[in-house]
Amino acid sequence: MSPMKSKDNKGKAYWRSLDELAGSPEFRKWLHREFPQGGSELNNDWSRRNFLTLMGASLALAGLAGCRRPEQKIVPYVKPPEEVIPGIPQYYATTMPMGTSAYGIIVESHEGRPTKIEGNPKHPSTLGASNAWIQASILGLYDPDRSKRVMRGGQQSSWDDFVAFWREHSAKYDGNGGEGLAVLSEPFSSPTLARLKREFEKKYPRAKWVTYDPVSDENIYEGMRIATGEVLQPVYDLSQADVIVSIDCDFLGTESENIALTRGFAEGRRLGSESDSMNRLYVLEEGYSITGAAADHRYAYSKDDWAWVPVTVSLFRLAAELMDKGLRLPGFNFGDPYPSGFDPDEWYPQVLHMIRAAAADLLTAKSRAVVVAGRSQPPAVHALALALNDALGSLGTCVKLYRPGFDSVSSMKDLVDLTGEMRSGRISTLITVSGDPAYNTPADAEFTDAFNSVEHSIHLSDYVNETSRQSTWHIPKAHYLESWGDAQAAGGTASVIQPLIAPLYGGVSPAECLNTLATGENTPGYDIVRKTWRSMVRSGDFERQWRRILHDGSYEKSLSSEVKPKIDLASVALSVSETRLPFGDGHHLSLALQFRASPSVFDGRFANNGWLQELPHPITRLTWDNAALISPRTAEVHNLRNEDVVKLTYREREIELPVWIVPGMADNTVLLELGYGQKNLGRVANAAGFNAYALRDSRWPDFDTQLSMTKLDRKYPLASTQDQGSMEGRPLVREATLEEYRKHPNFAPEAVHHPPLVSMWEDHKYDKGYQLGMAIDLTACTGCNACTIACQSENNIPIVGKEQVRKGREMHWIRVDRYFIGDINRPAAVYQPVACQHCEMAPCEQVCPVAATMHDDEGLNAMVYNRCIGTRYCSNNCPYKVRRFNFFNFTKDTPEVTKMVNNPDVTVRSRGVMEKCTYCVQRINRVRIEAKKNDRQIGDGEIQTACQQACPTEAIVFGNVNDPGSRVAKVKKRNRNYDLLGELNIRPRTSYLAKIRNPNPEVPET
Amino acid sequence: MSSDVEDISDLEVQQEILVAGNPTFEKITDVVSRIVEGKPTRWWYGLFTVSVLLTIMLAANLVYLFWEGTGIWGLNNPVGWGWAIVNFVFWVGIGHAGTLISAILFLLRQRWRTSINRFAEAMTIFAVICALLFPAIHVGRVWVLYWVFPLPNQMSMWPNWRSPLLWDTFAVSTYFTCSLLFWYVGLVPDLATLRDRARSRLRKIFYGIFSLGWRGGNRQWRHYELAYLVLAGVSTPLVLSVHSIVSTDFATSLLPGWHTTIFPPYFVAGAIFSGFAMVLTLSLIARKVFGLEDIITPRTLERMNKIILVTGMMVGYAYAMEFFIAWYSGNGYEKFAFVNRAFGPYAWAYWIMVSCNVIVPQLFWSKKLRNSIPVMFVASILINVGMWFERFVIVVTLSRDFLPSSWDYYSPTAYDVMLLIGSFGLFFTMFLLFLRFLPMVAMSEVKGVLPQADPHYHPPGGGS
Repeated sequence: MSPMKSKDNKGKAYWRSLDELAGSPEFRKWLHREFPQGGSELNNDWSRRNFLTLMGASLALAGLAGCRRPEQKIVPYVKPPEEVIPGIPQYYATTMPMGTSAYGIIVESHEGRPTKIEGNPKHPSTLGASNAWIQASILGLYDPDRSKRVMRGGQQSSWDDFVAFWREHSAKYDGNGGEGLAVLSEPFSSPTLARLKREFEKKYPRAKWVTYDPVSDENIYEGMRIATGEVLQPVYDLSQADVIVSIDCDFLGTESENIALTRGFAEGRRLGSESDSMNRLYVLEEGYSITGAAADHRYAYSKDDWAWVPVTVSLFRLAAELMDKGLRLPGFNFGDPYPSGFDPDEWYPQVLHMIRAAAADLLTAKSRAVVVAGRSQPPAVHALALALNDALGSLGTCVKLYRPGFDSVSSMKDLVDLTGEMRSGRISTLITVSGDPAYNTPADAEFTDAFNSVEHSIHLSDYVNETSRQSTWHIPKAHYLESWGDAQAAGGTASVIQPLIAPLYGGVSPAECLNTLATGENTPGYDIVRKTWRSMVRSGDFERQWRRILHDGSYEKSLSSEVKPKIDLASVALSVSETRLPFGDGHHLSLALQFRASPSVFDGRFANNGWLQELPHPITRLTWDNAALISPRTAEVHNLRNEDVVKLTYREREIELPVWIVPGMADNTVLLELGYGQKNLGRVANAAGFNAYALRDSRWPDFDTQLSMTKLDRKYPLASTQDQGSMEGRPLVREATLEEYRKHPNFAPEAVHHPPLVSMWEDHKYDKGYQLGMAIDLTACTGCNACTIACQSENNIPIVGKEQVRKGREMHWIRVDRYFIGDINRPAAVYQPVACQHCEMAPCEQVCPVAATMHDDEGLNAMVYNRCIGTRYCSNNCPYKVRRFNFFNFTKDTPEVTKMVNNPDVTVRSRGVMEKCTYCVQRINRVRIEAKKNDRQIGDGEIQTACQQACPTEAIVFGNVNDPGSRVAKVKKRNRNYDLLGELNIRPRTSYLAKIRNPNPEVPET
Repeated sequence: MSSDVEDISDLEVQQEILVAGNPTFEKITDVVSRIVEGKPTRWWYGLFTVSVLLTIMLAANLVYLFWEGTGIWGLNNPVGWGWAIVNFVFWVGIGHAGTLISAILFLLRQRWRTSINRFAEAMTIFAVICALLFPAIHVGRVWVLYWVFPLPNQMSMWPNWRSPLLWDTFAVSTYFTCSLLFWYVGLVPDLATLRDRARSRLRKIFYGIFSLGWRGGNRQWRHYELAYLVLAGVSTPLVLSVHSIVSTDFATSLLPGWHTTIFPPYFVAGAIFSGFAMVLTLSLIARKVFGLEDIITPRTLERMNKIILVTGMMVGYAYAMEFFIAWYSGNGYEKFAFVNRAFGPYAWAYWIMVSCNVIVPQLFWSKKLRNSIPVMFVASILINVGMWFERFVIVVTLSRDFLPSSWDYYSPTAYDVMLLIGSFGLFFTMFLLFLRFLPMVAMSEVKGVLPQADPHYHPPGGGS
């Protein structure tokens, strides 16, 4: 079968012919062409034949240039559905489950087609905001590579066949209580799934249930168990904290509950004026995270005579310092967690200074101080952090403990045990609920090998992945926007997952699948979920309550209440002294290895999501790939430059991948981000990055030493969206310490001296009606990228593919510039979101020969796509370089189903036209129409731009600057307000509030 | 003409022999017409084949460009203009020498211009055609290019008169129209000569139509010379305006390195500089290949070298002044842009430009070197390389502007290179056709500067 033919019948051909086709050049060619979803990637290596073909075709079609519009049949509703008005979107509340978190969201739906996701203001995990993953998950719904059919042994089958099979097959286990039956599940916080799990376990008491997620909060729960004796879920309220110490905890980025944490952190440092106070953040970390970038003091350290010291030590050191200073931890006694020869008192002075200052700060702030540790830190660290918080008195204020809504925590050990049992033949049927263990389990578990010893394997999965391919049964999993389910957020708020659309590819929801496995019945998801909720919602009329829950997106009653356990300090001390941390062994040959979740694709679950693949990494600005991240000094020692390919060898396993130098990372450390390098997942994921799981070890899955790195004599091209890391001394991000700010409250607007700004023309007076403007608070902005994806989703921004990004043609309307400041080995980092600034004297407008970009009366710099002829002069003359040009027809190859993600209120741009941020003009107009219909003024805050709405820190404020009472007008009056490049007299409507940091004056400067 | 002028020209005729070997009128006609009437040489066929092939490559390249979009070039986000605009400015610059030689030197009574003005003008026409190609094809949507013209339409949409690109549209097309007319008017007497000498019917009809019934009568000459003078007067300001306006594409923007008031005069000087270099290259080849050593004399070549030296110094001065002002302005962005030019990622291009444009012309201080054919041939080519790089250096200033976050390196693709080479193909195709079918030297004008043309001429050794 030729690959071209297989395209029509893709699912089937894909499944069967992959292996035979994978090596053939035609297949690769086809894959390459299909590769970026939504983007046409032009192959530059043109052959003579290709060229002539194209030429011939173009000559033949030249006469048909006028016939560009496809002919489409429009069928009106015969019986219009109730409440659906074409052109008027509807909004539904639902929940996005991710690991044990639940993110309450509001989904915009156009004529039954979900197009945009926002946070649910009533939900404690989103608070109306969102993150890049939530925003991008809408694209995952329309992914044409999602699994489309039930498969049995590589043959197409059906869900009914599976139900019949299971009824017959499970009968075998009825007699023996499920001996030989095992379930490998992703962690979940769903009451329904928990109920089904209990039912399953009741029916098959001897079946094994293992929960595994490659990136999980296992260590945190284990730490809580050590300290309190039970698995509890810590929930942080950072808005209550004046001092925060983070031990490798990227709570603003990749940790669970990052939205609520980010909001709390930002609340603690909102500055109205110089007399306000703000919190202080100390970060000790290995890599460079956005939390590190937000820190007032950050240290990623290394010691000169020790090749590498784990960051964990800093918490031990902090605890010792706190105890020295009088913090009472009765009965707590450090053992000796250090290897012989390592003396923590002779530590690198900067870290010591910082830890001492942090200790003093923590003791001053007492109950308004909190220590947080990252999920990659061993359980003892979490136990100790909790003990410290308890001793400081912040347990109950900044940290609250809840009984979680799940009874099964991801466990690396259970997974390894399971593979052992599989190998030994004790497991005859393995049911894998979501996930891709064949890809994302540690290499030493040798899952694939073990998997082959299992006779029957059943896999529920959204993609046909490595595991599916080896399973006897593969069942397509429905996207969360297509299925009924539920989830419980940290803190006990339960919410229902309600579908926005019927499953596009006939997927089965986890609840339906588990229900069938547990009961043998084929029950609709709706009934399953309602059954659970009937037992949970006891008070009042259930139907009424149910409708209310669906409407609000969450159940008003928390399912779990706060617990205040006693901390068992002896147990904490024991776990600390028993933790045998890997240390660098004193010479420079051995390197440390770190694994972290990717801020873009997380653990790999978003690998086939084009928006996230093309989202610039917050620190490296890399897209489409991961890399071995190393510090500049490590690069120097190993004679490496960006894009040099290295071979990493660790415990006799090796991978080859390019390096990328990250200023400010710990030395002698290689950091690998997980989730890349999936070979047969989909057109987006396949070419992207390198599989770091191949090196991972279950004993130290997050960090270890004994890595060796060899430089290979080749390069691998990486696509970074920002080549220049320094501001070149320009006053772009204006920054001061709180102390300096108090001394010079007007430092930001006064940072640039320029002659009086006068115009050659008589200025247009923008003093009537609505005058729209925006302010972005750089003190609040953490660089999380939520705005970029929110904008991409709202405004139908295409992805362009790695090659185009390398050429500098990415299309994001709002980009988050990242600059490093200071010493290359210990730089601070700042972020600045830049979108069109809607200059009143816009340089772009003056140079367009056809007047395709014009100003409207409300101050919007409007871009008229239809009029644009594509001279790119406007882009050249834009000092912010925020205009984006369609160099190709980037949407030409968008699969039909993916087109459904488009916002119908926004034009899809063709090739040859310029585009840029519009201040979400479609949202402005929607609000305006409503206001006009009701004959009233637009209220303040009624218009929210997509970036503003997504922002977890509320850093972006938008509104009518002509109304002195509006929030944006007030914010712009603050003394930190300045115009970026305002000295050019272009009068941008977007302004920035200068960044203020709050360093401890006790800590000496570097 | 006033008698004063005649006196001066008298003087010149006596002082200087502009055409070597003292040929007769008939000889001049013969030498020039022979090229057109005889069979083309192998050289011509060879060059023409290559040029046509390159033109075909250009056409194919354009079809592919229109099919795929401007993404096939190396453009990226900070650098929205690339080789297309570099080539445009380069060709417009080349197109300056012709009209300058014909119009300004004509008004200044520089009679030595007669031997080179015809093909300098032809060169202008063809260079401007090449130049006009680029702004047309570099737009994203070529099919709506006509929107730059103020055509009445149902939307009442008018072009934006504040945009220098619109000024360009008018400046370059006006220049093209005037240059074409000027060239054609100058051709009329020579076309008539060719008509009269034509043997084949086809040639008779062809030259007959285009010579507009020229018979060489006194009244015709009087009208002709007046028309020529008027056109010279109209063209003269255009020489200065076109490149000034082209320079406003850059100068009116607010980008550091572009936003400079020196651009208009500096661009004009540069244009004359490159135009003369191109005329020099072409005339050196033509004179050798077609045996016109007597008509295009070393004195003429030397004079052109002097102009090249002068304009080269002006260009060098502009380079230095840009740096000075960047420093003197106290504007950090401006300063950075210029330091970046000389020492940034494109320093190699900057130093090619300086070497070719500032250092190479210094050779012409030496009388010996400015009279040496090989030296001037190499120098003229280097100068055009340098002038192409000047435009390149200016355009890639885009790669590093205000916000370092958006900086990016621009490098051309194979399609960019093919486009430049293809435009040379187009230019030479037209130029070779011109050499084949039209008199490359203005016979009537050259005859006008022969001593015999003077009414007071006394043939050497002759009686009264």
